[in-house]
Amino acid sequence: MLALIGLAYAGLAWLCLAMDRHHRQVTGAAVGAAFARSLRLAGSVALALSFAAAVAADGWSFGPVAWFGGVTAAGLALVLLLPYRPRLAVGLSLAGCLVAILDVAAGALLR
Amino acid sequence: MKYGFRRTMAWAHGWAGLVVGWLLFAVFLTGTLSFYRQEITAWMRPEWRPGPAIERSLAADRAEARLKTIGRQANRWLIDLPDGRDRAAHLAVWRDPGQAPRFQREEFDPAADRPVDARRTYGGDFLYYFHFDLQMPSIWGRLLVGLAAVIMLALIVSGIVVHVRIFKDFFTFRPQKGGQRAWLDAHNAVGVMALPFHLMITYTGLVTLMFLYLPWGIDLAYRGDRAAFYAEAALAQSPPAPTGKAVPLVPLGPLVATAEAHWGLPAGRIDVYRPGDAAAVVRIHAADSSGLAHRRHQIAFDGTTGAILAVEDGRPAGIVRAVMYGLHLGRFAGPTLRLLYVVAGLAGTAMIATGLVLWLVKRRPRRQRLIEGLNVGAMAGLVIAIAAFFWANRLIPAERAGRDDLEAVVFFATWAVAAVHGACRPHLRAWTEQLGFAALLYGGLPVLNAATSGRHLGHSVAQGDWMLAGFDLAGLAIGLFLGWLSLRVARCSR
Amino acid sequence: MKALDIASRVGAAVVGGYALATAAALGATALPGTRAEAVQIGIMLGFLAYAAAMIWAFAARSAIRAWAGLIGPAAVLALIGWIGAS
Repeated sequence: MLALIGLAYAGLAWLCLAMDRHHRQVTGAAVGAAFARSLRLAGSVALALSFAAAVAADGWSFGPVAWFGGVTAAGLALVLLLPYRPRLAVGLSLAGCLVAILDVAAGALLR
Repeated sequence: MKYGFRRTMAWAHGWAGLVVGWLLFAVFLTGTLSFYRQEITAWMRPEWRPGPAIERSLAADRAEARLKTIGRQANRWLIDLPDGRDRAAHLAVWRDPGQAPRFQREEFDPAADRPVDARRTYGGDFLYYFHFDLQMPSIWGRLLVGLAAVIMLALIVSGIVVHVRIFKDFFTFRPQKGGQRAWLDAHNAVGVMALPFHLMITYTGLVTLMFLYLPWGIDLAYRGDRAAFYAEAALAQSPPAPTGKAVPLVPLGPLVATAEAHWGLPAGRIDVYRPGDAAAVVRIHAADSSGLAHRRHQIAFDGTTGAILAVEDGRPAGIVRAVMYGLHLGRFAGPTLRLLYVVAGLAGTAMIATGLVLWLVKRRPRRQRLIEGLNVGAMAGLVIAIAAFFWANRLIPAERAGRDDLEAVVFFATWAVAAVHGACRPHLRAWTEQLGFAALLYGGLPVLNAATSGRHLGHSVAQGDWMLAGFDLAGLAIGLFLGWLSLRVARCSR
Repeated sequence: MKALDIASRVGAAVVGGYALATAAALGATALPGTRAEAVQIGIMLGFLAYAAAMIWAFAARSAIRAWAGLIGPAAVLALIGWIGAS
């Protein structure tokens, strides 16, 4: 469940950063076309991986439900944090990835 | 034409949202709290400490023995077995017309092998039932909530049309802009982020009561014989006619073990029709935690021999219905997923609340005294009333007769007082005062618990009793949030 | 006149919408498969029809069209159900 939420947060944060308005909000500068494309790709991959993590953890019946819940919670956190601490909001995406890696690693070790 | 369509939708979205908004706010808030129904009930009965979890087949045997004492001459017994969150078994007894009482129920502690010995309270069930029947007589509350739910569906769809920029402004929330812009952003953000949940919970809510709302297809296809439909769809059975020949009921424990071995899933509910008669039938349902589909798997046994009569795993449309039902209740959810349900539910509540505030903000500087008062009373007033319900639970003596109904009276009376206060005070003052008062009530719940039960936070955390500690901590968190909100409003009104 | 138009549309949304939902539930009983299945499909579709009807009631160009757009399909669906049942 942690991997799901961490990856969902990272994915949404990168998709968000790929949008010009939010890139300005975070860095003060417009986003380059190539960078935006890679952010969108990375964001989509992270969201897809979060879905895979959800299904791996909870199976095909509960997994998709958990994924929708995780994406919603991650999105709410991002959108509430963004106006107040834009850099932190985007920076947390790296923490989300780290949490996901640790969660998967811990799962593999405990098996 | 396109512009015209959007404008019409915007107009209808605003007015329809206003008309049903207060009711929907109450439904969403109490419904969201219902995801913690068992936890709330546990906090409201602090003197009952459930024993250790025991085998479900043993619990079934003990419940059967108990029912043989309290449930004579019954046409049906129902046993809801304990699970991880609720250690009590729920027993119910029905009798044929002419025999009294027609219906009785009891909460039974299978670990201790005796009835649950605790104060009388509706507990979390109060909020759960309120969220769809509003404590109204007969089916009026359910019809009202059902109509509101259909309107909610239409509101969600029209909301997507009206706020068509939500997908482009997916991550946009600009509180620093203030006023209408900020409220609209907030309304859109909580709306779009939890959009799948809003659609799911509203539609599946209708599905839970669908045979009440639209029974006419049943009447047409079954020529008015609704019982035949319920039996054919494996939804509910009528007790078979009694033979009058007494044959002892087969022990239930081994049947539970058989059913669980057959499914590889835990059992949750046991229905016994005509116990002690030669016509007896036992139906065992898989536990709510065992899948998305609510009560999909069931096995019918002969109640005298224990032979399997039928194994029912549902047909496609019935399974779709059961999945909808299960999704709405979320009983399959573990602690994390349950929390996500609550987060999404709160987002829905916030979407309705921001929509109601937005209606007023849009019409500024014109004042709408009536709507202002109703907004405070319906929203802050309900938040206070729920806290008052918890306080009443601990302040009304545990032995007092009729205390459960008195708790409900406190809930409604507090709500009424808050509504009057909201209508009389200047608008922003009313918000500040009510949110501040609510903050004290919620923040004080751990103190109240410590003062009236001895199972304070230090104790429950040390014992690893997260069910109880979770309630206290949630009270604190809600108190802090409401306090912050109250200060924010106070700053605005200066 | 404006008030009458709005009242008529509200009526179409609530009453006409319920009529359409009922008709959808009746019409679906003519579906192949077991009766119990058809009944359940009909009710689940009925709610969607109700919500759609509410939107239609306000989107239609006039109140008359709003009513006609609900009662027409409702009559057809109910007829299908009635023929299927007899």
